[in-house]
Amino acid sequence: MSQTISLAGIRQLIGQWLGQGKRVAGPIRVNADTILYQNLTSAEALLLDGCVHPGNSIKEFVMPPHEKLYEYVVKGRDVELRNQEAFPPERLILGGRPCDAAALPILDHIFNWDFVDAAYNQRRQALTIVSLACTRQDDACFCTSVGLAPDAVQGSDALLVPLGNDEYEVRCQTPKGEALFAGKCTPSDRQGSVPAGPAKQFDAKQVEALITSQFEAPVWREQALACLGCGACAYGCPTCHCFDIVDEGHAGGGIRARNWDACQFPLFTLHASGHNPRQGQASRQRQRVYHKFHIYPEKFKEYLCTGCGNCVRRCPAGLGLLSVLTAIQQAGAAAPAAKGEEAKQP
Amino acid sequence: MLEQKLRQTCRELLANGTVKVIIGYGAAPAGQATRAVFITTPEGVEQLVWNDRCEANLVAYLKRPEVRALGKPAIVVKACDERALVVLQQEAQLERANVFVIGMACDGIGAPREAKCRSCEDQVPRFCDVVLGEVTKPADAASARWDELAEFMKKSPEERMAYWQQELARCVKCYACRQVCPLCYCQRCIVDKNRPTVISTSPSLKGNFAWHVTRAFHLAARCAGCDACTRACPVGINLRLLNQSMAKATEENFQCRPGTDPQAQPLIGNYATGDKEEFIR
Repeated sequence: MSQTISLAGIRQLIGQWLGQGKRVAGPIRVNADTILYQNLTSAEALLLDGCVHPGNSIKEFVMPPHEKLYEYVVKGRDVELRNQEAFPPERLILGGRPCDAAALPILDHIFNWDFVDAAYNQRRQALTIVSLACTRQDDACFCTSVGLAPDAVQGSDALLVPLGNDEYEVRCQTPKGEALFAGKCTPSDRQGSVPAGPAKQFDAKQVEALITSQFEAPVWREQALACLGCGACAYGCPTCHCFDIVDEGHAGGGIRARNWDACQFPLFTLHASGHNPRQGQASRQRQRVYHKFHIYPEKFKEYLCTGCGNCVRRCPAGLGLLSVLTAIQQAGAAAPAAKGEEAKQP
Repeated sequence: MLEQKLRQTCRELLANGTVKVIIGYGAAPAGQATRAVFITTPEGVEQLVWNDRCEANLVAYLKRPEVRALGKPAIVVKACDERALVVLQQEAQLERANVFVIGMACDGIGAPREAKCRSCEDQVPRFCDVVLGEVTKPADAASARWDELAEFMKKSPEERMAYWQQELARCVKCYACRQVCPLCYCQRCIVDKNRPTVISTSPSLKGNFAWHVTRAFHLAARCAGCDACTRACPVGINLRLLNQSMAKATEENFQCRPGTDPQAQPLIGNYATGDKEEFIR
């Protein structure tokens, strides 16, 4: 026995949430060529098909690109802090892709392993995520290469599996999901199923082993030549989470804010002395791959990548992790002895 | 076939030592357009492609230190890309003799064909060392060049402001627009200056307006109209409109079409007694 809901039922649900003053976000069309996860202003705006993956990721709702942490006012020799952020409103994300939802448990680890990040946790706890299993894929998709699947449930409170004709099977995963759909579904004997995901593009274990032994391999320089050094990959990535803390204001006061930052910018590692330990795009790109497939897995026993393919789709230079990892694997297979190679620092 | 001719030209350039590297278009993984390839051996030229997905303005790579380190380049350009190259030349950013320029006659790029191509005035590069191919599909009337902007300018100032507030709210400052731009070559961009901060680094509405308006002004009378920034924007902001409004103003007021005359002085660094001044209030 399964539980199903119609698209009309989903829209009704959204309408109810919006009516209660809660937030609902999901994929919407912002212009002819662009579909993004955004806050919905109406239930009708939700777009459950129309693209393989929206151009951004749902991390924006737990870690906004620009987040005011607090205000400060300088009073003589004292500074008064004013925390203006009220507890964030409850938010429902509908139609998140499973690869985006799977990034949330990863971000949970990051924002709680030593410093318990209140701003993140408050947003996270206010979030209910209903994912939509993928029925199609594009050439950028590689979830299966990092151990996920088109109907992965990690991070989702409920998963919708399309049954056709605007009907969805609802697979609740958590009490939050059950509470959301309680009384909204119709019992049915129909079971949703999705096609197998993209063919495996690389062996993540092998890549992990190779990148540690190939730190100085020429492949890093070769792959980075076409990289123009923007942050489109990192900012569209559901797991990239680096940020910068800035003060904005004047002598009398201002705000302290957390802004996204990305390891692909030279400024990311520029020291106050003027020295930059990551000279050149090759070392910056290598860092990003290393973090995802070695540094982070070493600590947390999982990859810092869900194979969503946004780095591929968004790269203005036609790169992205997929081709870099494939090239590394090929280079590693061709030159297993490169470990001791005295190659120059990229 | 044009692609074969391109490969042959590049093969010779590498074989006879005219250049050390070819900066051209290569096949990208399925689903993507094309990507830049850097070819250093005559055999490598087989990677080169020429098709209507050769969208990138490769001139942007001339500013990259890693690419400069490869030695004297030959670069494949379309007419719009070439205009950016000419501006670099005018601004003393490159020694023209140190770059071999391969111009490709262009029928337009993009699937669907890009807005800039539909009203392209150039199509055939003019200042290249060699031009390959010929135009088979002339662009629609170049008079259509400002149509999109004219349509936009029909809106009231309030409507235009509302439009930009809505559009720029999506910007997360990934700086793809800046990085793909051949003319954004500042060693340290003003937005990266933090002692003190000149432009708010925050992707807030205020910070985003400051960034995009500053960039548009800095590109005034320089922007070649290649639309690389518009293509690159991952959140679909039509930066073309900003650049076009600058381009139209400089063209109408100063008869300046950037990158169409290597001998011309850069407009910003030049003064002519005939320059209009009635707009100074």
